[in-house]
Amino acid sequence: MAAPTTEQPAGSDASSARWRRITSLEVLCAVLVLALLAQGALIQILDIPAVRTGATVFVAVCVQAMPFLVLGVLVSGLIAAFVSPLALRRVLPATSAAAVPVAGLAGMALPGCECASVPVSRRLMQQGVPPAAALAFLLAAPAVNPVVLVATAVAFPGEPRMVAARFLGSMSTALVMGWLWARFGRPEWIAQRALRHPQRPLGQRLPGQRLPGQRLPGHSAWVVFTDTARHDLVSSGGFLVLGGLTAAALNVLVPASWMASLTGQALLGIPVMALLAVVLALCSEADAFVAASLSGVPLLPRLVFLVVGPAVDVKLIALQAGAFGRGFASRFAPMTFVVAIGCAVLAGVLVLGGLQ
Amino acid sequence: MRRETQNILLLLLGGALCKIAWNGSYLRYVKPSVLPFLVSAGMVILALGLISIGRDVLTGRDAADQHDHAGRSPWLLVLPVLAIFLVAPPALGADTVARSARTLAPHQPSVRFPALPAGPAPALPMSDFVTRAVWDDAGSVNGRQVRLVGFIVHGGNTTYLGRLVISCCAADATPVKVRLEGRTGLAYLPQDGWYEVRGQVVPGSARSNTRFTPTLTVSDLHQIPTPHEPYEY
Repeated sequence: MAAPTTEQPAGSDASSARWRRITSLEVLCAVLVLALLAQGALIQILDIPAVRTGATVFVAVCVQAMPFLVLGVLVSGLIAAFVSPLALRRVLPATSAAAVPVAGLAGMALPGCECASVPVSRRLMQQGVPPAAALAFLLAAPAVNPVVLVATAVAFPGEPRMVAARFLGSMSTALVMGWLWARFGRPEWIAQRALRHPQRPLGQRLPGQRLPGQRLPGHSAWVVFTDTARHDLVSSGGFLVLGGLTAAALNVLVPASWMASLTGQALLGIPVMALLAVVLALCSEADAFVAASLSGVPLLPRLVFLVVGPAVDVKLIALQAGAFGRGFASRFAPMTFVVAIGCAVLAGVLVLGGLQ
Repeated sequence: MRRETQNILLLLLGGALCKIAWNGSYLRYVKPSVLPFLVSAGMVILALGLISIGRDVLTGRDAADQHDHAGRSPWLLVLPVLAIFLVAPPALGADTVARSARTLAPHQPSVRFPALPAGPAPALPMSDFVTRAVWDDAGSVNGRQVRLVGFIVHGGNTTYLGRLVISCCAADATPVKVRLEGRTGLAYLPQDGWYEVRGQVVPGSARSNTRFTPTLTVSDLHQIPTPHEPYEY
């Protein structure tokens, strides 16, 4: 019985050792098989009403956000493949402080929610855009794009000033955060992996780069596009799921009496609605309808809800931690929260005319 | 996580999105108009996975040096895949309505209410019925038989007919409910069971003291299968 092993040439030891090592593919298969076997038990656990509600909300957040994330990674792939850092530098003003408002206005061109803007702004940083400008884009894009503004106008048919106030509040949040980063931000707060240019590490692995003569010039841009999009989708997709889990848990755990206690309360409403915006993690294209349905709450706290939500929520914090590192998210998210409340209150006082 | 594992996960994820779009269960999670975006997203995810697998196979890339430095986060993508393929969570129902203590009046419409459709007992969306019961000074639902479709919610000693209104996805669901009265045995109806109820509103029952929940005097009700579109929009 021992004969076959002794007959094996010595050189195959290394390869057989590699075969025996458990890889992630085997782990995935094991997970899938186990889940299939335990399907009955899984369904039984989920039969508790609260858990079932959480599971539905979790799948809903993922399903609803996935198209936007896909849009974001496609734009990110296009930038990586077709927009050279040189071209971006020519378009943007030379100083960070001047580039911030340009990037903020550019945010109007990405019609998505916050899940789309995270991979795009990281890609902009990798292409040499100053971090301050990329962050202004990150905060502006989900809040001031035409789709969101139209949704807000539809949700508040009797209050056209709400659209102007939302635009003003969100845009100033993006600009203030951009300028704050330009003045006080440190590059080392952003994880190094976030700033690595994609073409170099990808290129090392691409066979097309090893044999340059075999590929058309256009082919390698296509390879960069699909590989960047795929990589961004896999890495930010996981964090989107994490955000969806958090949002689902909080959706079930946050007592609904919070909302009920706010009728007619403008000052108390501001911090509570800001916190609600963070924990509910609604899509920026839907939050206006939720805010409109809370007709007992005064307008100013509802404006705070609309300005804070697209700038900082649990789903977004998870995505930012994934894209830029935990050290970044732990500084950026609380600061954005404070700045967004301040900007929203200021915009509310200016446009809506005070606490009403 | 290895690159090939990531590609398999992408195929599973894209397949999951296409599956719920194909069999219509996406309506449990999002509104109908999301369908084209959902299908495109599923196709793009499938395509990215397939292109990557195809390229790896064609170029014969060695699996050992395919470590992608995305960390452990991609593993989380297994969760929605398993949830969709194995569990397929049902649409939100009575638990969400009971959980929500929203006591605010529905949004007051800026236009006048049109007259109810003609016929002996017109079918009305629950949200329309409740808004009319609260805001319509002309009393367009008073004295009329209407038909409502919703699920049973038991709260305290009261039986309600409930429905959820969503504006984008199930995470932003807003409940509407109607208190059922006028028949014995209402307390024994199954929680979350779908019913079509015929009845008449008790005028003036949707005030702040009832938390803007109108009362319906039931004249007839029968169980129905779960509707294709479980939410109102």
